Amino acid sequence: MVKEHVLSHKELHEEAADDRVMFGFWIYLMTDLLIFSVLFATYSVLHTRTLGGAPGSALFSRPLALTETLILLTSSFTCGIGMIMARQRKQAQTLVWFGLTFILGLAFLSLELREFSAFIHEGHTLQTNAFLSSFFVLVGTHGLHITSGLLWMGITLGYIVKRGLNAPLVRKLAMLSLFWHFLDIVWIFIFTIVYMGAYT
Amino acid sequence: MNHHLHPKGSGHTSERGTIISYIIGFALSLILTFVTYYLVDKQSVSGQTLMVTILGFGVLQMLVQIFFFLHLGRGPKPLYNVVFFGATVGIIMVVVGGSIIIVNNLHYNSLAPDQVKKVVDDEAIYQINGHETGACHGQYANHHVSIKYGIITPLHTQAKKCDTLTFLNEDTVSREITFGTHPEHKAYAGDSYVPVRKGLSKTITLSEAGSFKFHDHQQAEVAGDFTVVP
Repeated sequence: MVKEHVLSHKELHEEAADDRVMFGFWIYLMTDLLIFSVLFATYSVLHTRTLGGAPGSALFSRPLALTETLILLTSSFTCGIGMIMARQRKQAQTLVWFGLTFILGLAFLSLELREFSAFIHEGHTLQTNAFLSSFFVLVGTHGLHITSGLLWMGITLGYIVKRGLNAPLVRKLAMLSLFWHFLDIVWIFIFTIVYMGAYT
Repeated sequence: MNHHLHPKGSGHTSERGTIISYIIGFALSLILTFVTYYLVDKQSVSGQTLMVTILGFGVLQMLVQIFFFLHLGRGPKPLYNVVFFGATVGIIMVVVGGSIIIVNNLHYNSLAPDQVKKVVDDEAIYQINGHETGACHGQYANHHVSIKYGIITPLHTQAKKCDTLTFLNEDTVSREITFGTHPEHKAYAGDSYVPVRKGLSKTITLSEAGSFKFHDHQQAEVAGDFTVVP
């Protein structure tokens, strides 16, 4: 009984530490959100300045944008389930769900890079006009976040395999999943404003 | 003792609830994504109305994910996160909204000469401080060009300066009228693209004299031309 009491007391301490770390990470996310909001403002102002070139409606593929959205949304979901498994310390299930998230993230990134390279191949580059400059910077910044999220996920999953699912790793996963959900929310607006907005 | 054990116990009972909340959030997000896609695909409303509508669905989806995925503001913990998020949203409103209003105003009030001409033409400003601008105003003839089964009738249109030209798209695909020859396009009177959605029409003012070719950007063989005499 005494042992259990001490354990739960330690857990309470850990939970308080968790809360502090998570709040710090939340502040980082909010400042990151400000970066995205400035890029959105830039895009909103510049997206009509095509210098006689093709507008978004002539460039973007709606089915591709929908596919990317569904992949990222599903990855956000699998990431959430993975986090529940991690909190219950079910190591194998955690690896499976976060592994799925990793694969979906990779699929999203490869679709985005293929879209970018197709644009550049057709001569629609960062330097073409103000519209494309703001497009590449906004969507590219999100893509960079996804890339770093994938790196982070890969490393964390490697640690779980090597060391087993311990409390610090669960905390890392909690921050990672917050980051991943956040990127999905930012993508909702890229999908709506950039890809669908081009057809309004 | 019970007091100390409580957090762990409550954590376990809420796990099942959490999985259900993720499933609800995922389903709602899917529905909202497809609604946006359908609205844009169907084009039953367009322009500003459509943009505001899909933006509304975007914000709704954000709220769904914040509630069901991030669990923001749920549970017995203090609301620091929510307050911080609210403040950030406030700053975003000021930065994004302010930028759009200011820069659009700036752009409108300090235009390059060719764009001044386009605004003058578009809004039929024929006089500035007592000086004639050369912009069209008053009543002029309207000419029709219809596109049906990829065939343009009439192939050639003869018009006078300041007449209007209406592109009528009777096909089941959307057309993007561009001027000049494919793929090097030339703008006509400041317009480089005239999108004409299926079953709809678009009218331009013939404010530039000369002979011009036009074609559908997606299907370059769908082409015609028009001559504007001063």
